[in-house]
Amino acid sequence: MGDRQFHVLYRQFLFQMVDREVLSAHALGDANKLLGNFAATLIWISIPFGVMALSLDSGRKPWQAVLVSAWAPEHALIATTMLVTGVFAVLSWDSIFPSRRDVLVLAPLPIRAGTILAAKAASLASALGVAICIFNAAPGLALPLALIPPGSNLLDVLFSLLRTLFVYWITMAMAGMFVLSFVMLLQGTAALLPRALSLRLSSVLQIAAFCLFVGMYFLQPSLSSPQALAEPLNRRLLAWLPSYWFLGVFQKFEGIAGGAADSTMAWLAVRGFAGWAIAVTAAAASFLISSIRTLHKTVEEPDIAPRSRGPIWLPRFGSRLETAVVQFSIRTLFRSRQHRVIVSFFSGIGFAIVILFVKTPFAQQMAAASGTGPLREVTLPLLASSFVMMCFWILGIRAAFAMPTALRANWIFRITPVAGGLTALAASRRAMYAIALAPFWTASAAAFLWLWPWRAAVGHLAALGIAGIAAVELCLYGFRKIPFTCSWLPGKTNVHMTVILCLMLGLNATYWAAYYERRALGDGGSYAVMLTVLLTIALVAWWRTRDRAKSEDAPLDFEEAPAPAILSLGLHRDGVFPID
Amino acid sequence: MLELRRVSKAFSGIVAVDQVSFTARSGEVTGYLGPNGSGKSTTMHIIAGLIEATSGEILFNGLPVRGNPIAWKRQLGYVPEEPHLYPHLSGLEYLTMVGQLRNLPSKTTSDQIDGLLRLFALHEDRHLAISSYSKGMRQKVLLSAALMHNPDLILLDEPFSGLDVATGLVLRSLLQELARRGKVILFSSHELETVERVCSHVVILHRGKVVADDSIEHLRTLMALPTLEEIFSQLAVEQDTAAVSQRIADLVGA
Repeated sequence: MGDRQFHVLYRQFLFQMVDREVLSAHALGDANKLLGNFAATLIWISIPFGVMALSLDSGRKPWQAVLVSAWAPEHALIATTMLVTGVFAVLSWDSIFPSRRDVLVLAPLPIRAGTILAAKAASLASALGVAICIFNAAPGLALPLALIPPGSNLLDVLFSLLRTLFVYWITMAMAGMFVLSFVMLLQGTAALLPRALSLRLSSVLQIAAFCLFVGMYFLQPSLSSPQALAEPLNRRLLAWLPSYWFLGVFQKFEGIAGGAADSTMAWLAVRGFAGWAIAVTAAAASFLISSIRTLHKTVEEPDIAPRSRGPIWLPRFGSRLETAVVQFSIRTLFRSRQHRVIVSFFSGIGFAIVILFVKTPFAQQMAAASGTGPLREVTLPLLASSFVMMCFWILGIRAAFAMPTALRANWIFRITPVAGGLTALAASRRAMYAIALAPFWTASAAAFLWLWPWRAAVGHLAALGIAGIAAVELCLYGFRKIPFTCSWLPGKTNVHMTVILCLMLGLNATYWAAYYERRALGDGGSYAVMLTVLLTIALVAWWRTRDRAKSEDAPLDFEEAPAPAILSLGLHRDGVFPID
Repeated sequence: MLELRRVSKAFSGIVAVDQVSFTARSGEVTGYLGPNGSGKSTTMHIIAGLIEATSGEILFNGLPVRGNPIAWKRQLGYVPEEPHLYPHLSGLEYLTMVGQLRNLPSKTTSDQIDGLLRLFALHEDRHLAISSYSKGMRQKVLLSAALMHNPDLILLDEPFSGLDVATGLVLRSLLQELARRGKVILFSSHELETVERVCSHVVILHRGKVVADDSIEHLRTLMALPTLEEIFSQLAVEQDTAAVSQRIADLVGA
């Protein structure tokens, strides 16, 4: 009975990783498409890593030097696997412990708590394992192939390949488990606190964990050379960088000597094994204790932390309808963890690009070049970064708007006399300005007025504001919804190709725009031309969005899937079978 | 006056509502009855504008509601069967949002919300998230949201579900009071005793079709049956209830 229950629960929990409540009715039962999209994105990311692993320069170097030069791609793969696992764990935050619904459904049934927890842990481990396997599919094969010593006989080739394959996959699995254990430990510890406090803290921890993974990935220095590893000053830093611990584990398994860095590698490997063992044991213990506690507590207390007594004041945002939509959007974004994670995810991508702008040799060269003259504080990386961060922040808010909250509660918007077209556009537009553009612009104003001479700061803020208006208007083109009320249809966002191509072109354009802006800030004529161009773009975008909304007589969208052009009569159900 | 003319709805070829026609007049509470799956909630959804009818027409005060759905929704108050509400909002925030969506004047709305919350004994909990409300409290929020704009037509789908005895009694007399004040009330329920006390006119639905549309008094005389329960059993219950209950008890080995 226990085995059967385990299998049923395992399947159930595995498919709960996707929140079907947010999906369009058209997509119900088709969550596989969403998982397919996720897998395709991981494969897309894994291909360049595979190419990187295959292009190890084994030219005329001694074999030992080739193995040492492989440390950098090995570390990059370990760090990226940890990032993928971390992002995965953060996104499936609510699936780690049995939910309130799980408890309400399963508690009255004759199932042992241990079976529920084992099925939950197994489903999580399976989903994570699949994510790690998909991401490492290309490099996991390419790197062992690249590390086959030259001039070996067939048996040696086979042995070397199998050993490196084993070492590679075991290291990646350990690194992934370490990150997952860390997240489970965080959540498990929070779950031990009083329920209301733990729910509030949990949402903060989720965002903090996300920022930690993204920040660590992009901010950690490159220390993958024997010299950097052997440097005593770096030892304190390495003690806090788990991706290097697992590089040590990889080398320990592989048995590769690193010369001067040998002792550091051995020390890192010890930290890796010890860290892994501690994290896994602590996570398992906290999972068990907090799950059993959660099983009892969730029935008694609600999922959303009850608000403290007393109203929260929000200003008016125009007409009654506009005020309703903007206040609803603000409250939803501030109280819905899922939506905050979406915004954080986009901000994380923006932050990663900003780090690239600041850290790449090209960026540093440009920053150095702009470090003279009266505008020496106005550096190109900072100018470009503000545009990039703003665009990703606006995109994140727009993406969050498209994901519903409590989808079945949207009937209230459908039975109230809310017109589509321009009225709805005005409300959504206010929400975008109030939540996306205004806070970002205000924060930027504070930062730039503090960092730069006021003339340069004001000049940049004007340009940033107008560019923000253009970005908001572009995002709202064809948006015929009230934020957070329309179902979501997986597969409509083609992120794999289009977005990445746009990103590459857009980043290049941003850098050159920042270059032009810096020049324009010191020259009134150029600045006027720049503002005129930006204003024209913003006006065209505003007019285009408005015109599209005006031309649509259709009511608001609450269902992402369009109504079929041909309605099936289903005649076969009455006994008339279709003729082939 | 609400008038449904040959309204039908089919889902992928399966007919849920079949040529339903009836009239609900102002000044009376019309009971809309039927067994599970008979198409009551589907009809309610069609009238509320949540789904579109496959065919047929709905008129309110002689005007087709399809012509101007926005104006139609201004006159409508709706309490759905399931209390789907935004759980992250407090009761007060939810009702304020509904008032804003209905473009009601802010001062009067806030007074009305305050009054409704007090009368429904929700005032103490008005700042708590709806997620922490009981089913009855959610039902009270739905009732407040449906009534706060003084609608001409009130659609109530199982409105007594989850309410405590006192609020149930209040709602019962409230419906009669609203009908006396000229509102059109269409009210669906499985509680036949309540329907018998509150409604003057009933429409009974069975397998998507109207099988009775008359005053309760007239139905009693016509069918020579003393209670609505017996009338309903005769028209819409196909099973021999005693035999079925006996078989269930036998099946589980009780």
